[in-house]
Amino acid sequence: MSVRLFAIGLSHQTAPIELRERVDFARDGLEAALAGLAARNIAREMAVLSTCNRAEVYVAADTDDAVDLVARFFGEYHGVSPADLQSHLYVHRGADAARHLFRVAAGLESLVVGEPQILGQVKSAYTVASDQHYTGTVLNRLFHLAFSAGKRVRSETGLGEGAVSVSYAAISLAKKIFGDLSRLEVLILGTGEMGKLTGLHLRAQGVRGITVASRTRATADRLAEQIEGAACDWADLDTALGRADIVVTATGAQAAILTKADIQRVMKTRPERPLFLIDIALPRDVDPDAGTLEQVFLYNLDDLQGIVKKNLARRTAELARADAIVSSEAAKFAAWLQSREIIPTVVALRERFESIRRAELDRLQHKLTGLPPEAQAQVDHITKLIVEKLLLTPTEQLKAVSDDALAASYSDALNRLFSLPPSEDPLAEEPVVVKPRNAT
Amino acid sequence: MRAIPLLLYAAAAAAYGAHFAWRDPRVGRLATGLLAGGLLAHTFLIGMQTVQVGHAPLVGTTAAISAFVWLLGLAYLYLELTSNERSMGLFVAVLLATLGIIPALDGEVAQRPEVLRSPLFTIHVMSMLLAYASFALASVLGVTYVLLFKEIKAKHLGVFYTRLPSLGVLDVMNGRAVAVGWIFLTIGLVVGAVWASQVQSSPDPRAQNMSLADPKILVAVVSWVLYSFALYARRVIGWNGRRAAVLSAVGFAIILFNLLPIGYFMTRSHNF
Repeated sequence: MSVRLFAIGLSHQTAPIELRERVDFARDGLEAALAGLAARNIAREMAVLSTCNRAEVYVAADTDDAVDLVARFFGEYHGVSPADLQSHLYVHRGADAARHLFRVAAGLESLVVGEPQILGQVKSAYTVASDQHYTGTVLNRLFHLAFSAGKRVRSETGLGEGAVSVSYAAISLAKKIFGDLSRLEVLILGTGEMGKLTGLHLRAQGVRGITVASRTRATADRLAEQIEGAACDWADLDTALGRADIVVTATGAQAAILTKADIQRVMKTRPERPLFLIDIALPRDVDPDAGTLEQVFLYNLDDLQGIVKKNLARRTAELARADAIVSSEAAKFAAWLQSREIIPTVVALRERFESIRRAELDRLQHKLTGLPPEAQAQVDHITKLIVEKLLLTPTEQLKAVSDDALAASYSDALNRLFSLPPSEDPLAEEPVVVKPRNAT
Repeated sequence: MRAIPLLLYAAAAAAYGAHFAWRDPRVGRLATGLLAGGLLAHTFLIGMQTVQVGHAPLVGTTAAISAFVWLLGLAYLYLELTSNERSMGLFVAVLLATLGIIPALDGEVAQRPEVLRSPLFTIHVMSMLLAYASFALASVLGVTYVLLFKEIKAKHLGVFYTRLPSLGVLDVMNGRAVAVGWIFLTIGLVVGAVWASQVQSSPDPRAQNMSLADPKILVAVVSWVLYSFALYARRVIGWNGRRAAVLSAVGFAIILFNLLPIGYFMTRSHNF
């Protein structure tokens, strides 16, 4: 009997939002969910992962029954009928469960592939579980490898790189041009939805000030209030442009409202500061030629959408590399799990050999009593060495088996050949293999 | 022994290149380690040469280049460790490995002639080399600025966009490097002038050739004028960003011209 690892859960890929809203472990806190699960005595180790797109339980248990029991817990804990849940729950076992968690941690299973928050959420799932002592050897190893898979994918691939929305593409450009956004002045022309959205994003990035200008002062005042900015009159546009570092234009005007000459005039008053023009209006608000001016960076909606498209394509191109990293980490875990599964057999085999040795020594006790104590100790030592030497290669070979079925058949063969007793504790600590030195 | 720093600089350049391409942090740390190893070996070499000749090995163009490479490496390493920014390493290490070839091929340390036995000479050379190292960093910052600027202007966000720091940061660092370099260049020129006037009476013909008519001195003054203009333009007429970047690249090209062809073949005053 060996320890089994399961991942049971649902996500945006398998369940509609209505169900995900109901199955939310974070609502009453992960501690409560873990306590509820622990009260059912399903598993030795457990952790609960909860994000807005995902609810998962990871358990290390002794039997396959754990899967059904955890599934039932999902329903009962959230008051959802088994019929409603059944077709939406997925189960991953053993190395597949590890691979799944590693993919989750790396952002490969996220709605927006490569998004960075998930690794933090996986970390907090582990921290909560381990603080409450619900994790042990298996989940500790599992989660630490998951962090390492997540970090490696982040640092070694471009999976999380590049903005994948127009607003973020504009913000990441602003960061690449200016570096620090906290000292920047933003001017928003137009009071439409797009302008407001970009304004809110920029506000969230901590820009110093936002000014809103519109042909109708009242609407400008309204938007300014919503995004915690100031409004200015359309007549003061030149002054406002002179102060601004980032200008977002999103008016409904039918022709360009800022010509190259306008921008040139403004730039003369502030030659030392770059100007980033984000033209998200359709038709365009800024004459495209203005982008040729020194220190002026002009991006329109098409440019930004082009960047988003490229970034999405680049992320897709990085999937294979990310997956290779996840696979290599998953293989490490699988090998480790395998080596643990074979441990009971190894322990039993060693105990068997040791008991034979002891029995033989006892049997020969009357002959040994005539020997001086040093010689008796020598006999004991040599027999021990022989046993260690006999067991060294089989032990190493057993621990190196990476195939489940093969390991089981090896285990079975050894049990039969040496009539090994059934093991008691599959999580027994690994026996220390002492490499025997030559007895000479 | 002479080739060891060069080999390590070249290996560092390769590792910085690999880090630039694939952004594997382990390769990045390896690159920094190789650079630090190269600098350590170089320090050891300069130390041995000092013991061998009994004074700082700053006599002659080759020795000056060796000291310049060493100072530039140290300045860059300091910058990298304090800013945690490795993307410039490729450019700097390539420069180190390229210039490092010269002292590796000809490492004979020259004995100091009578005329150079003044502390002013050492101050002059060290100031000039520190200025050159600052200007080298400024030009690397300038070149990378222009590369990134072009990508953003052309709306083709590619290799540099994902690897380099922001234009703002590159520009500020460029401004600082030019200012620091200008201070050392000014000190170096003034001390050099004072020292030259002191040795005018020396029988050494080189000392008598110390005047603006000598290309080495003339071009050094030209570079001072150029960097003074760069500082003025940045502060007063708002020439920063791409213009400042181009100026610092041009300035360093002039300095390299002064250090190599003029230093080896044309000067009649600095050919020690």
